[in-house]
This record gives sequence, structure tokens and C-alpha cells, in this order.
Amino acid sequence: MLILGIETSCDETAAALVDDSAVLSNIISSQIDLHASFGGVVPEVASRKHVEAIGYVIKEALDSAHKMLSDIDGIAVSARYGLIGSLIVGVSAAKSLAYALKVPLVGTHHIEGHIFAPILSHPEMPLPHVCLTVSGGHTMLVYVKGLCQYEVMGNTLDDAAGEAFDKIAKFLNIGFPGGPAIDRLSLRGKRTAFDLPRPMVKSRSLDFSFSGLKTCVVNMFRGKEQDTIPLPDVAASFQEAIVDVLVSKAIQAAERKGATAISVTGGVSSNRRLREAFQETCGKLGLEVFFPLPELRTDNAAMVAAAGAARLERGEASGLDLNAVPTAPLESTR
Amino acid sequence: MRILAFDTAAPTNTVGLVDDDRLLADYAWEARDNSLQRIVLNIDQVLKRGGVALEDIEGLAVGIGPGSWTGAKVGVTVAKTLAYAVNKPVCGVTSLEALAYQCRTASVQICPLVDAGKENVYGAFYRPRGKSLVRKGDFYVGDIKGLVAAVKEPTLFLGKPAHLYRRTLARELGPLASYGSPSDSPSGCVFAWIALPRFRKGDSDDALALAPLYLKESLAQALLLKRQQEDSGKPSQ
Ligand SMILES: [Zn+2]
Repeated sequence: MLILGIETSCDETAAALVDDSAVLSNIISSQIDLHASFGGVVPEVASRKHVEAIGYVIKEALDSAHKMLSDIDGIAVSARYGLIGSLIVGVSAAKSLAYALKVPLVGTHHIEGHIFAPILSHPEMPLPHVCLTVSGGHTMLVYVKGLCQYEVMGNTLDDAAGEAFDKIAKFLNIGFPGGPAIDRLSLRGKRTAFDLPRPMVKSRSLDFSFSGLKTCVVNMFRGKEQDTIPLPDVAASFQEAIVDVLVSKAIQAAERKGATAISVTGGVSSNRRLREAFQETCGKLGLEVFFPLPELRTDNAAMVAAAGAARLERGEASGLDLNAVPTAPLESTR
Repeated sequence: MRILAFDTAAPTNTVGLVDDDRLLADYAWEARDNSLQRIVLNIDQVLKRGGVALEDIEGLAVGIGPGSWTGAKVGVTVAKTLAYAVNKPVCGVTSLEALAYQCRTASVQICPLVDAGKENVYGAFYRPRGKSLVRKGDFYVGDIKGLVAAVKEPTLFLGKPAHLYRRTLARELGPLASYGSPSDSPSGCVFAWIALPRFRKGDSDDALALAPLYLKESLAQALLLKRQQEDSGKPSQ
């Protein structure tokens, strides 16, 4: 079944063709350089760029896979969770195509897409499993009971982990997006240089909170000249605190459910130290850990196509009245 | 020539289907925030009532604003995707020209107005020429006083802001100003008929590049400035 996936929930305009578990094309038009000049995503600018890029991106997804519109068997789109002005562009394009091509349409949840990225990358991945999905927009622990069956176990109470990286990187003046900048700097720093808090790591709750950690770093260095701040040590210590919290909560979640595997997905799953720490800890505990292929970690449409294919196989197509919903619980379907 | 047209940038969303000068079917609904939910279904209804399959239309026309920013994005994205999917030409039509078109037989210049928020208006000046309209000068965005200052001849004001600011217009312009009907919201077919002469000449817009009409380009720049000011509190390099 050849599915066209469309993703426009934040600042990436993406389209992809997926045939069962084969990713035939995965086109992403990133606005990262544009938003870097603003130090973050500007919703109004993002939605404008989506309208301009969407047609080219869909065409490129077909052309580079050597497929024609008439080959498409179904259209999947991220319709829930994200910036409303951005989501509406993907949903408008998806429903128009589904109508014109007379193929089924399915609206999926953006987070469900991220959950499918490691599944698409490793079809042998066991179910059930625990999924930690972590990016600039969200930090969520999900028990994946089966395909398209979820139980949210933990969520961020304030900043997403990637957002905390961005804010600290911005505060330290080291660039946007913050995750890669901090990851690079931390290579030269000591993880134990500063004793930073591990927010909520001791609590029974599997929720996350990173704003206190961020405030702690800001208070330490507010008003200091940049060249007097030991940037690599700050980066390494800050990153370690976040990684510690993410790993320990994910392990707790897996233990609570008796799961044998954990997947780590979303943009922050590219973080070198996070991957290393998960591999070490899971190795010790006899848990399997899975990461998406590099091109499926940040927002992309192949993961949306994979989620959509699973929904269509369950007979869960959407109507042409499909709407874009910026905040929707993951558990809700359609 | 069979043209499917729609506009979701105005408060009243419209779909129209014409064959040359003949109206085949049309539909209008008061859109609050349901443009995205209704547009494709309503296009389908109008095509069915007009007895025309999507594949058999010969061109698409779409409202590109100014108006509701969200609405314009929905309409333009639907139009470009449909045009790409059925491989037909597409023409973008501004809401201002669509408003003016209904009074194209007027003997004076026409100034359609659209609310731009924050007590500002979008506007433009059109002169009737034969059966069509020619825009004089650039689009205007700003307060009503700035617009009034540009008026030196008898002018027919159209659109909701023409009624909202009627006292100002009357005070500043006196007998130079005349007014259209307050319910002068254009139907979907108007967008088709404005595009028709372009299609007949073999002219159309690039479907993939089609974008809403941006008249407030400075917003992103303004945001950049604001952010730079916010950032002045962080460590210096
Ligand atoms: Zn995401």
C-alpha cells in the first residue's frame, strides 16, 4: 500500500512516500535557517512558508520516488498537535489530494508519527514497548500497547527538553537550535563540573519539568561576560542533568509496565550523550533500546505515512471534513 | 470554459462554478472557523449540483486575500493542490478586485476596502475599463485617514469598512464619496469571472508557487527587532 505522508505541524514542510515499511522518499523543507534569525520558531512566518513550500515538497516526494499521483493508495497527514496555522496547510493539501485522487484520507496525531519513526526503522521492534518521544515541542513517555494503542505515562509540565536546550543555548549565546550546539560544546566539558538539579527524578510521577533547571543555570551566570563563563562545562553539566532525568524516567516506565524494550524518538534522540546513556543503562538492565534512522528523528512525513498506513489497515479513515486540532490528547482517535 | 472558483478569505466563504458567462452552481456560508472543515465538501457539492466532474473543469480561480489570514492559506493551499492533482491552470484573485467587480459599471473610480485589524484597512483604487477593471497604483494598508488623503476625485467606497468609517469618509471627502450596499460580499462566481479573461488569453499563475497576498510584509521584521531587544538582557559576546 503506497501512502503519501504530509507533515506541517511546526516548522518543517515535509512529504514522503512509504510502501509498507519501505521509505521511497522523504522530503523535508526546513525553515531552520529562517527561524534561527529569530532565535526560535515564529508561527506566522512558519505558516506562510508552509503554503509556499507544500506543493513543491509533495511533487518532489513523488518525483524522487519515480511515482505518479495515480500510484498513491492513501494520504496521511499530521492533523492534531502543533501550531494551528501550520497544521491547516498540511490538512488543506491532504484533503484536496485525497478528494482529487479519490483515495482514503487519514489524519494522525503528530506524536503518533514520532512513535512510528523507530517502528518504521526497525520493523522487528517488539510490542508492547515504552516510547520516550522528545523534541523542541514535547517530552512524552508513552506505553505503546500495540499498533495505534497508547497510554500516556508522563508528559512535560513546563518546557519540553529540546526547548530547555534552546533556551539555555540562547541565554549563553551559542546558537539555535540549542540541542546540537550544546551537544558539540559538551564534548570539551566535564559532566560533573556543576552540580545541577535533576528535577522530579526522585518522584513517583513520570512527568517532566525542566524550567527549574533552566532557571538554575540562568541564575548562576546572569549578567556575566560570555568569555568568563566556562561554556563547555556548563553545556556538559546541563546536558547531563537533562539526560539523567530522561533516562531514569524512561527506565522507570519500562519497569512499571514490565516492557522489554524502549524506543527513543523525536529531534532530541539525535543527542549523542542521550543515546550513549540509554545504551549503557539499558545494556546493564537487559532492556533493548531502539532509535529511529537519522532522517526519521526530527519532524518528517515518512513517520506520518507509517502511522497513517497502520490506521488505514485498521479501517480508520477520516472524512473530508477533517479538521486541524492544535492540542489533542494522543489517546483520542480520528 | 468551465471554471471552479472559491474564496475562504472573506467572512462569507464561497464556491462557484461557471461555464463562460453562465452560472452553473454556487454556494456561500458564514465561516467562523470552519473554512478548513467545509471547503472540500462544499466544492464537491457545487460540482455535483453543476453536473461537472472535477477532472472536467478547465481552470480554477481562488481568493488570495487580503482578509482572514487563516482563510486565505486554506483556500490557496486547496487551490494549488487541486490544480496540481488534476493538472489544470489556476488564477489567484484578490478580495479587493472581487469586491470592486460587482460595481464595474460605475462611472467613477472604485475603492474596495477590507478590514486589516487594529483600525487599519486594506484598499485599492480601480477604474472601470470596458467590462473589466484596472487597478490604479499599489495596494494600500494603513488607517482610513491615510487612504482618504489619496482621494482627489469622485470615488465609490465598497466593503464593510466603507460603512464602519462612513462618518470619517463623509467628513473628509463630502460629495466626492459615494457608497455601495453594505451586503456587497462577492459570490464565488465573481472570482471565476475575473479569472476568465486571463484563462482565455492562456495566462495563469504557477500553481506550486501560488501564495496568499501579503500586504503586511513588515511583521516578520518587526518581530525580529522585538526579539533583538528582548535578547539584550543576556550575556554579551
Ligand atoms: Zn515533532
